[in-house]
Amino acid sequence: MKRINNIIRISFLTLAVLFATACHDLLDEPAENKAFTEETDYTNSDNMILPLIGAYAEFYARGWEDFPLIAVRGDDVNAGGLGDQQDYAETDKYNYNKDYWMYNSVWQNLYNDMFVAHSAMEQVELYRNNGGNNANADQYIAEAKVLRGFLLFQLSRAWGAIIIPTSSDPSEFYVAAITPKDEVMKHISDQMDEAIPYLPDMNPNARTDIRGGVTKYTALAIKALANLEIKEYQKVADATGQIISGGKFTLELDFYELFKIKGKLNSENLLELQYSDMGTGSGTNYSYLYAFFGSQDWTPKVKGAGSGWGFYEPSMKYIKFMLDRKETVRLETSVLFTDRGIAEIKKDAKYASLPAWVSNTTRSGDKINDYARALFATGKHYLPSDQLTPGRTDYGTNKNFTCIRYAEVLLMHAEALTQGATSSAMTADAAVNAVRTRVGMQALSGVTNAQVMDEKYAELAMEWGTRFYDMVRLGNTSELSYDGRTFTANKTFLPYPQTQVDLLPVLGGVQ
Amino acid sequence: MRKLCLFFFLLLSVFIVEAQQKVALSGKVTDNTGVGLPGVSILVKGTSTGTVTGIDGDYKLETSTGSTLVFSFIGFVSQEILVGNQSSIDVMLQESVVGLDEVIVVGYGKMTVKDLTSSITTVKSDELVKTPTGQAMQALQGKVAGLQVVSSGGPGDSPTVRVRGIGSYPGQNNEAPLYVVDGMFFDNIDFLNTADIASVSVLKDASAAAIYGVRAANGVVLIETKSGTYNQKAEITYDGYYGTQVAQNVLKMANAEQFTTMAMESGSAADQSFVLNAMQRYGRSRVNPNVPDVNTDWYNEILRPASIQNHSLNFTGGGNQASYSLGTNYFSQDGILDMKNQYERFNLRAKIDFKATDWLTVGGNVVFSNALKFNDEEGAWNQAYFAVPIMPVYDEQNVDAWPEHFSNAQDLGYRSGQNPFPTLLYNENRLKIRKTIANFYAQFQLVPEKLSFKTTYSQAFSALDERNVNLPYYMGNNFQRPDATLTQKLSEYSNQIWDNVLTYDDQFDNHSITLMAGQSYRDEAYHGLSAQGINFPVDQENAWYIDQAETIPTTGVSDGGSRQYGISYFGRLSYNYNNRYLVYGTMRADGSSKYQQKWGYFPTIGAGWVVTEEGFMADNKVFDYLKLRASWGQLGNDKIQASDGASTTEIIKTAIDDVEVSGTKTTSTYSTLEWEVAEETNVGLTAQMFGNRLSADIDYYIRDTKNAAIYVKIPSTTTSILKNVGIIRNSGIEVTLNWRNKISEDLSYNVGVNFSTLKNEVRDLYGQPYIDGGSAEFRQRSIVGEPLLAFFGYKVLGVYQNQDEIDVDPAAPDSAVPGDLKYQDQQKEGEDGYGVIDDDDRVVLGSYFPNFMYGGNIGINYKKWEFSASIVGQSGNKILNRKRGEIIWTSDGNMDADLAVNCWHGEGTSNKYPSSAGLRKGWNQKMSDYFVEDGSFFRIQNIQLAYNITGVKLGGTKIPESKVILTADRPLTLFKYNGFNPEVANGIDTQTYPIPAVYTIGLNVRF
Repeated sequence: MKRINNIIRISFLTLAVLFATACHDLLDEPAENKAFTEETDYTNSDNMILPLIGAYAEFYARGWEDFPLIAVRGDDVNAGGLGDQQDYAETDKYNYNKDYWMYNSVWQNLYNDMFVAHSAMEQVELYRNNGGNNANADQYIAEAKVLRGFLLFQLSRAWGAIIIPTSSDPSEFYVAAITPKDEVMKHISDQMDEAIPYLPDMNPNARTDIRGGVTKYTALAIKALANLEIKEYQKVADATGQIISGGKFTLELDFYELFKIKGKLNSENLLELQYSDMGTGSGTNYSYLYAFFGSQDWTPKVKGAGSGWGFYEPSMKYIKFMLDRKETVRLETSVLFTDRGIAEIKKDAKYASLPAWVSNTTRSGDKINDYARALFATGKHYLPSDQLTPGRTDYGTNKNFTCIRYAEVLLMHAEALTQGATSSAMTADAAVNAVRTRVGMQALSGVTNAQVMDEKYAELAMEWGTRFYDMVRLGNTSELSYDGRTFTANKTFLPYPQTQVDLLPVLGGVQ
Repeated sequence: MRKLCLFFFLLLSVFIVEAQQKVALSGKVTDNTGVGLPGVSILVKGTSTGTVTGIDGDYKLETSTGSTLVFSFIGFVSQEILVGNQSSIDVMLQESVVGLDEVIVVGYGKMTVKDLTSSITTVKSDELVKTPTGQAMQALQGKVAGLQVVSSGGPGDSPTVRVRGIGSYPGQNNEAPLYVVDGMFFDNIDFLNTADIASVSVLKDASAAAIYGVRAANGVVLIETKSGTYNQKAEITYDGYYGTQVAQNVLKMANAEQFTTMAMESGSAADQSFVLNAMQRYGRSRVNPNVPDVNTDWYNEILRPASIQNHSLNFTGGGNQASYSLGTNYFSQDGILDMKNQYERFNLRAKIDFKATDWLTVGGNVVFSNALKFNDEEGAWNQAYFAVPIMPVYDEQNVDAWPEHFSNAQDLGYRSGQNPFPTLLYNENRLKIRKTIANFYAQFQLVPEKLSFKTTYSQAFSALDERNVNLPYYMGNNFQRPDATLTQKLSEYSNQIWDNVLTYDDQFDNHSITLMAGQSYRDEAYHGLSAQGINFPVDQENAWYIDQAETIPTTGVSDGGSRQYGISYFGRLSYNYNNRYLVYGTMRADGSSKYQQKWGYFPTIGAGWVVTEEGFMADNKVFDYLKLRASWGQLGNDKIQASDGASTTEIIKTAIDDVEVSGTKTTSTYSTLEWEVAEETNVGLTAQMFGNRLSADIDYYIRDTKNAAIYVKIPSTTTSILKNVGIIRNSGIEVTLNWRNKISEDLSYNVGVNFSTLKNEVRDLYGQPYIDGGSAEFRQRSIVGEPLLAFFGYKVLGVYQNQDEIDVDPAAPDSAVPGDLKYQDQQKEGEDGYGVIDDDDRVVLGSYFPNFMYGGNIGINYKKWEFSASIVGQSGNKILNRKRGEIIWTSDGNMDADLAVNCWHGEGTSNKYPSSAGLRKGWNQKMSDYFVEDGSFFRIQNIQLAYNITGVKLGGTKIPESKVILTADRPLTLFKYNGFNPEVANGIDTQTYPIPAVYTIGLNVRF
C-alpha cells in the first residue's frame, strides 16, 4: 500500500507540475496573418504614400453599376438591354424603385470609398505626426479630399440631401443629420478650396509620383462642378478660368481616339479611372466591366474579341439632334450603329438619306450586328478589337474611364459666362469654339446660353449624366420628357435605398 | 516541457506486486431459465486475468481470495461476485432491460444510462450501417429527436447538422456541433467510415455537453471507433454493398411550348424576338408551328445514374492482456451530375489496448483516411435551371465553337450563353483529402477499483491538396474562356489535444460516487498556400502544374494561417444514492486565445429521481422503471470567427500608369467580441413500461444564447461586423418512444417513433428593434419576438384580375395592371400609411427552421429474415425560392413549369402568380411570400430486407455466417416546394445538389 500512496503523491505532484507549466501566456497570442494597424511603423515615412495609393485603388475599383445608375437618366441615353434589368429601364423612365438592388449597391460603393479616403487622410496624419514630410502629408491628404469630393458630388447629385461623412468611422451615421444638396455642394467647394494650395500645379499626366493622380486642376474642376449645381456661376467661371489660364491642358485633336487607348492619361483629362492589363495577354488585369456597355453581337475585326450586354443605348433623340447639326466625328464617336438602328432612323422621312459614313462598321473595322436589346451602342465606352492587347478578349480591357476632361471645363466656363458671370481667362465664344473646332464644326460668335447647352449635349453625351443634371438645374423638364417619358421636378432625386432607410431611420423622414 | 513532464511521470510510476492466496474456482453460468450460457466473459476485476465459459456455460479459473469476479455477457446484466473460500461459484445472469444498463460515453468518461440526469441519445453501429452513405452523420437523419440533419447530395459532402435548433447567428460555419472522435475534436467527420464507428452519442443538453465548455454550445457528438475486447476469439468480418443512385423529384421546368407562351406574353419585344430566332435557327415544331422545334430538358441532360460501393474488412479480437481491432475500408461514390464528380476514400485503422501491468493500461488508436474528391461545378445546377428549352445541347451551326459545338443562347439573342455543358466539361475540381488521427493513452490504476489517472495525447493532421482547372473553350464572343487557368491550393491543419484526467470511484453503503478532475491543452494550427497559373499544356494532365504555366499572376498568390490555443480545467461529480437519487455536476474553465476575453467558466448541475425505486411504486403495473430528471448548464461557443479586436491594415493593389502598385487600406470597423454563452435548462423523464416493452424518453428544454455574436450591417457600406448584441432562445419538446416485443422464438418486432418541436426566437437585441440579414433584395430580419433571420416582406393577397379590382383597391399603385400581385396593406382605414403599400407593410413571412421534426422506424425479425423501414419528415419551415428571384437580375431565362403554367394568363386564370409581363416588373419582385414557400416534407428514409445464412453447409464445408441485404435508401420524398429538394440548410435555394435515392445490395460475412 505504501507504493500506491507513493504513486498517488507522485501523480498529484505531476499534475501540479503540469498545471503550473501549462502555458497560459499562449492565450495572449495575437491572431495570425493580420497586420494590426497599431503595429504600423509610422516613423517609416516612405510608407506615407501607401494609404493614399489604397484610396486610389478603391476609387478606381468602381462597381460596374455605379456609372450606369448615375448616368442613365437624360435624353442622351436610354437604358438599353431591353427585357433585362427592368427597374434599370424604369429608372431611365423616371419610375424609381427603392428596393431595386442597384440603388443600394451604388449608394454603398460610393460611401465605402469615401470612408477609405477618410481613412487614408487619418493614416497620413499619423505618419506626419511621427516625422513624415509635412508637405507630402499635406498633398496626400488634399488628394484624398479630392477623391472624396468627386464621390460625394456624384452621390448628392443623384440622391440630393445626404449624410456627409466626417471620418472613416461609419458608425457616426447613426447620429448624423441629413445635409441638403445645396449645402453638400458648398461643402465640396470648400473642401476643394482647402485642398488646392497643397496639390501639384500640373497636368495629372505630368506627375511622377502618382501619374494620373489628382492635381490642383482636378480640384478646381470639381469645385466648378459643385458650384454649377447651385448656380454659383461666378465661382464656376473663376474656377474654370484658373484651369484655362493654367495652360496645362489641351484638347486631344483626334476626338475618336480620345476615347480609346490613346485617351489614357491624355493631356485633355483632369480625372480618370486608371485600368491596365500590364501590356500582357494574360494574367494581372485591372479593368472596369465595360461589357455592360458593349453591343450584344458583333463581328470584331480581331476574331474572338468579346462583345457586351447591350445596355446603355444612345437615344434616337440625340442621334437626330446630331444629324440635324451635321455633326460627324462626335456622332461617330458617341454612337455605334446597327443596321436595325439605321433602318429605324430612316423610318423618319426627314432622315431617309443618311450621310455615307453612317454604317454598322466602325472606322476601326468592327461590325456591330443587329441585336434585340438595343438599336445602338455607346461609342465612348467602346474599345476597338484591334486595340486590345493580343490575348485579351474582354470588351474594353485596358481602357481608362474618363471622369472629367478639359472640354467640359471649357463648356462650363462658357455656360457660366452666358449666365452672367465674368472672366478674364477666356470668352464664352472662344471656349465653345475651341471645342467645336476640334471636331470640325464651324465657329460661332456671340454664343447664347442655349447654344452652350446644345454644345454640351453634343460634346458630353453619355458621360456621367451631365445632360440630365444640366436640364434639371435649368428646369428644362420638357427636354427630359421624350420618347413617352414625362419628367417632373419631383423625379429629380433617386429614393433612398430601402436597406439604408431600414438601417438609418433618419433617412425615412426626408423623402 | 510538457512532453518531458509526461515522461517523468511514466518513469516514476512504480511496479506493484501483491501477494495473495490463490484459489481454484469452477462453476456454471446460466440464464434465468437455467440454460447454460456459452461465451460469458469472466474477469478478475482490476486485472487482465479471466476466462470465457464453455459450450454449456461451465468455466474454470484460478484466482485469489478477496478478488472480485465480473461476469458479463451481451444482453445480460453484469454481475460481480466477491471470491471467498468457495471452490465453486454458479451464477444466474438476468437479461438486461434494454438500454438502461448500457454504458455510454460521456465526456472524459463513461456512465450507464441509468445514472444519467441529462439528455443523451446513443446510436449504435448496427443502426448506422443501414444507410448506404460515406457520411456517418447522414445515417442519423430521423433517428435522434432534436437532431436536424440536412442532407447533401454531392459525393463526399457532409450534411448540415444542428442540435436543438440554432443558437448562434449563422453564416460563419458555426452551426455544427462539436465532434469528438476518440477524444479528438473535429468540425466534421467526413473522413470516417460508418462501419468503423462503434457508437455515436449525441449530447443534447447543456448539462451533458458542458464538460466540453467553450466548444459545446451547438451540442456535442461523441464518436467511439470500434475496439476489440479482451479474451475474445479473433473475428474477421467483411461488409460490403454495391448500388446505384438515382436523382429524385427532379424539378419540372417549363418546356419549349410553355416557355414560348411565357415569352410571347412577356410584352418584351426582345424576348419575343429570341423565340423567333430559335425558330429560324432550329425550325418550327410540327405539332405547334409557333414553337421552335427544340425541347431540351436540361436537368435530364445533366443528370446521370451513378454508382456507390463500399467494402470493409475488419479484424477484432483479444487475449488476456491485449485487445485489438484493425480494419480497412474502401468507399466510392459517383455524383449524379454528369461531369467529373466523384468521391473515393480509402481508410485504415488500428486500435490496440494493452494491459501492461495490473495498474497500467496503455493503448493507441490510429485512423488514416485518404480520399480523392472531384467536386461538382455548382454553377451548372443554376445554369440548367435558367437555360432556355428552345435551344439544343449541341448546335452544329455554331461552327467556330471548340472543342465541341455546343449551342450558345447568345446566338438567339440572350444575354448569356446559358448552356451548362462547357461548365460541366471544361472544369475539374480535384481535392485530395488526407486525414490522420492518432492518439495514445496511458491509464494508471492508482488505487484498485477506485482511483485512476489517464493521460491522452491526440493529434489530428489533415492535408488538403486542391487543384481547380479551368480549360479554355470558345462557344461565341461572349461565351468563351480564352485562357486555361489552374489554381493549386495546399492547406494543412494540425490540431493537438493533451488531456489529463483523474477519476475516483467509490461505493459505500448505499452511496455511489464518481469524481473526475482533468486538464486539457489544445493547439489548433492552420496554414494554407495557393497560387494560380495561366496557360499551360492543357492536353497533358501531367503538366498541370504552375511551373508549366506561361503566366503566374502575383494577384493569384495567397498565403494565410491561423493558430489558436486553449487551456481548460474541468471536473465532474456524479452521485447516486441507492439507485434512487442522482446528483450530477460539472465545471469547466476554458481559456482561449481567440477573443479579447480570455477565460470562460461553464458550470452545470443535474438531479434525478428514480420513482420506481420508491415503495409506493412497487405495485404499479405500468412502470418498470421511471426516472424524472432535471438539469441546468452553461456552454460557450468559440466557433464564431475570431475577432481582431483592433483595426487592421490590408494591402490593396491597383494599376497606376500601367504599372501595378500596392497601397494600404485601414479598416476602422472591427469587432471586439466576448464569449457567446448558451444557458440551458432541461427537464425530462426516462421510463420503461409494460414489462420493459415500451421505453420512453421525454425532454423539454429552453436554451438561451446570450451575447450572441450577430453580423450588424454598417450603414452606407458593404461591411457587416460581428457584435455581441443578442439573446436567442431555442426551446422544444423531444419525445422518443420504442416498443419492442418478442411474439415467439421466431418472430419479434420493434416500432419506434421520435419527434421534436422547436421554437426559435430572438429574445433581445440589446436595445435595437431588429437586425437585418439576408440580402437587400431578399431581406431576412431578426426581430425581437420572432425567429432568427425570419424572411421579411410583403404578404400577397392575390393577383389583380381586372382594372375594376385595381380601381377599388386604394393600395394599388398607379402603375398597376391586371396580372400584377396584390399585396396586403397592413394598416386599416384611418391609420397612418393606409392606402399605400410601403415599408410598413412588410411582415415576417416565416422561418427556415422546421418547428416540427419526426422520425419513425419499424423492424421485424422472422426466423432468418430481417425487415426494417424508417421514415423522416419535418414541417413548419420555409424556403426562399431564390431561383425564381433571379429574374430581378436576369429576366430572360427559363422558369419552373409550375410557375409557367400557373401564372396569370388572363382574367380568372391565376390568383397565385403574376403575369409573364408582371414577373419582370419591380412591383412584383418585392420580397413577398410569392418567393417564400412551405418546406415541409415526408420521406421514406430507408427500407431494408436481410436474410441470414447460418449453419448452411456446402459440399461438406460450413459456409461462414453471412447476411444478404437489400436496401432502398430515401426512395420516396413528398413535398410541395417548387424545387427538387426541400432540404435547404439555410433556407435559401439557389443551387442545391439533388438528393438521390440509393438502391444497394449488400453482403456481410463473418469468419
